[in-house]
Amino acid sequence: MNKPDFPLFSELYSCYYQVVAKILKEAALHPLTCRQIETLARDYGGGESALSIVPRLIQGDWPFLRRENTSPPTYSCTLKNPPFPQPLTGLQKSWLKALTDDPRIRLFFTDRQLADLDWYLADTVPLFRLSDFCLFDQYKDHDPFSSVMYRRHMHTILTALGERRFLSVDYLSQKDRILSHTWLPCRLEYGQRDGKFRLYAMRLTRTGRQRMDILNTARILSVKKTDSVFPSQVDVDRFLDRTLCPQPLILEITTRRNALERALLHFSCYQKKVERMKDSHTYRCTIYYDRRWETELLIQVLSFGPVIKVLGPESFLEQIRQRVRKQALLGDKTYGQEQPHVIC
Amino acid sequence: MSEYKELIREFDKIRSYVRDFYIYGFKTREDFREKSGRTYDNQRRRMESWFADYIRFDHSGHKKSLFLTLDSSRMAVNPLYQAWKSKTFTDNDITLRFLLSDLLWDGQPRSLEIIADELQENYCCLLDTQAIRRKLVLYEREGLITKVKQGKQYLYQWVRPLPHTHPSLIPALTLAVSFFQGVSPFGFIGSTILDFWNETNRYFRFRSDYLIHTLEDEILLPILNAIEQKRNILLTVKSTRTRRTDTFTAIPLKILTSTQTGRRYVCARQEKTGRITSIRLDAVQNVQFLEPDENYEQYADSFRTIFPHVWGVSFGDAGKSRMETVSMELLFDEEEEAFILSRLHREGRGGTLKRLEPGLFEYTCRCLDAGELLFWAKSFTGRIRAFRCSNPAVEKRFWSDMNMMQSFYLTAEEDSGNPDSSKNVQTGETISHEQT
Repeated sequence: MNKPDFPLFSELYSCYYQVVAKILKEAALHPLTCRQIETLARDYGGGESALSIVPRLIQGDWPFLRRENTSPPTYSCTLKNPPFPQPLTGLQKSWLKALTDDPRIRLFFTDRQLADLDWYLADTVPLFRLSDFCLFDQYKDHDPFSSVMYRRHMHTILTALGERRFLSVDYLSQKDRILSHTWLPCRLEYGQRDGKFRLYAMRLTRTGRQRMDILNTARILSVKKTDSVFPSQVDVDRFLDRTLCPQPLILEITTRRNALERALLHFSCYQKKVERMKDSHTYRCTIYYDRRWETELLIQVLSFGPVIKVLGPESFLEQIRQRVRKQALLGDKTYGQEQPHVIC
Repeated sequence: MSEYKELIREFDKIRSYVRDFYIYGFKTREDFREKSGRTYDNQRRRMESWFADYIRFDHSGHKKSLFLTLDSSRMAVNPLYQAWKSKTFTDNDITLRFLLSDLLWDGQPRSLEIIADELQENYCCLLDTQAIRRKLVLYEREGLITKVKQGKQYLYQWVRPLPHTHPSLIPALTLAVSFFQGVSPFGFIGSTILDFWNETNRYFRFRSDYLIHTLEDEILLPILNAIEQKRNILLTVKSTRTRRTDTFTAIPLKILTSTQTGRRYVCARQEKTGRITSIRLDAVQNVQFLEPDENYEQYADSFRTIFPHVWGVSFGDAGKSRMETVSMELLFDEEEEAFILSRLHREGRGGTLKRLEPGLFEYTCRCLDAGELLFWAKSFTGRIRAFRCSNPAVEKRFWSDMNMMQSFYLTAEEDSGNPDSSKNVQTGETISHEQT
């Protein structure tokens, strides 16, 4: 089968089309005022999208709205059918087909569903082959995606997430203790570096306080759905805000060894701000981070060696000093006392 | 002078701007000299519109810099996908997109003439038949429409959406797409599926996610096609360091993705040198297909033989094929700091680990370019009792870096404990271990 040449950059995926579809969906339910149309365009489009979309819809350049004789004027949808869901394009099917080779796909489907998906994509050519990629520095101990038990646990978790249902979980802690509690699954986080899923789950304490725990999915020994359902969606970010470090990490980055480009790309996953220092070839990078990831960040900063200098906060700086001090003492034992022997 | 439009015609025009605003962020208007100031103004305005929630400004003197800042682990969908959803279109394009899907929604096949008549009748929309035909052909090629021949004419039929034809796959498929749009290559395609189904990613987040990779997808796709077709390509590469542009012929063999540095590479055999090298995808400006190479399997075999000896992406210097050995002794408390041992096991990439005595381990690795290992080795600062390398330059670099770190962070008294630590702190590049 030859691979069709689907364009990646296509009008079919335009944000404007999606904004218009959302407006039409709403206008099919009840006529919309101009202000309501503008609000929808702003909510779902870019900052300036409303300026282009709304006049064209109202003036009829895009003939999907009918002006009603009301005061203020309202607009109803001229289309007879809902704009969602839309059929998949060849490119989208081709992307889905490529995923069917990924061992993680089994975590989402039963065998029967996988067979249905394979049938649906039978005539589709995959967009890419996973075997053409290599994540060369991913940690070796990723989650056991092919394990039957792991897959069963993920199915239970995914169902419970949708139902907002509490789960009864037996969990092997980092200290090798078995914890048995009832948790409400709220979010799954996947780490590309370690290939692990982490479950953000809310626990109600005896005093009725809510706390967010993070469970390594691979350390779950057993998980069962309970009859209890939580009435509303939990705002996980609200919990995470509490663990943000009050003081950001401040780094001074030099331009030697291409350090600026390397470091800014490396730390691009963090919220950050970079400033060029006057009269010097250095840059100041301010990184806002979660306290839970401090050790990881510390290790990353140490990896860069002297092309990055930590300026603050004091607590972080002290940890760096401790490591360097310890290294200086260790280095003393061998450094300069013996010539390194050549191994090969 | 043409009017400013939020949407764009070509993706590669904004690729470098998005990258600069997101990765660097400190650049002002004066730093964007490759194009005119007006081009910069327009691109900046687009960024402000597309990424409104994540755009911040900084004023340094009278200069203003705009930057894009966000915590990727909080993102349900990569905001940079917005760039992929910014293709310009005409009034006819959008009109036909919505009217054709509405008209053909019932699944009944119709001829071009009937479609044109019904568009006029049902929507009071008089459109050129040729324009409708061109759009039907495009949609058929894109997979939205099927075409059957009846007598002398073609009948067009809208494809029924998957949630209607395969309801048993929902919501599992929505969840799978929500996940893979964040972790898979070409993830933006997954996000368009969510758009098409009016769904959002409610439950997944992605840690250490390098959002910037999406900007390379237009370059990545032809490279993957070339790998599949065992074909040579002409690569145009702009160095991220020197900004110099170069072109060369190569046969691509593998895509190497770093989960830690944010870089992706195409690993390719260069025709001119006959050597396997890794080229950063974000440096590739253009890919042009050349002829298939009958020796592809031979090169692929060569890659498979060599790659297990590559620590990261470097296949060593030209003319030097001998392996280098790094040996590092690490001292730590096995009970209190057991995580160090776990790190060595999971991050050691084929190195060997030997317990010399309680709390003292020796990690040894043979690879083609030991210099690549330095970055990882330095992450153990504070626990390294010895560091040796068969390549003296690498060993020098390591100790020189340690010296400089001491000069940065330790007081004069603390630092004086280390022999010669105050020397040579200016260069950090070629301090000789032997000199000390």
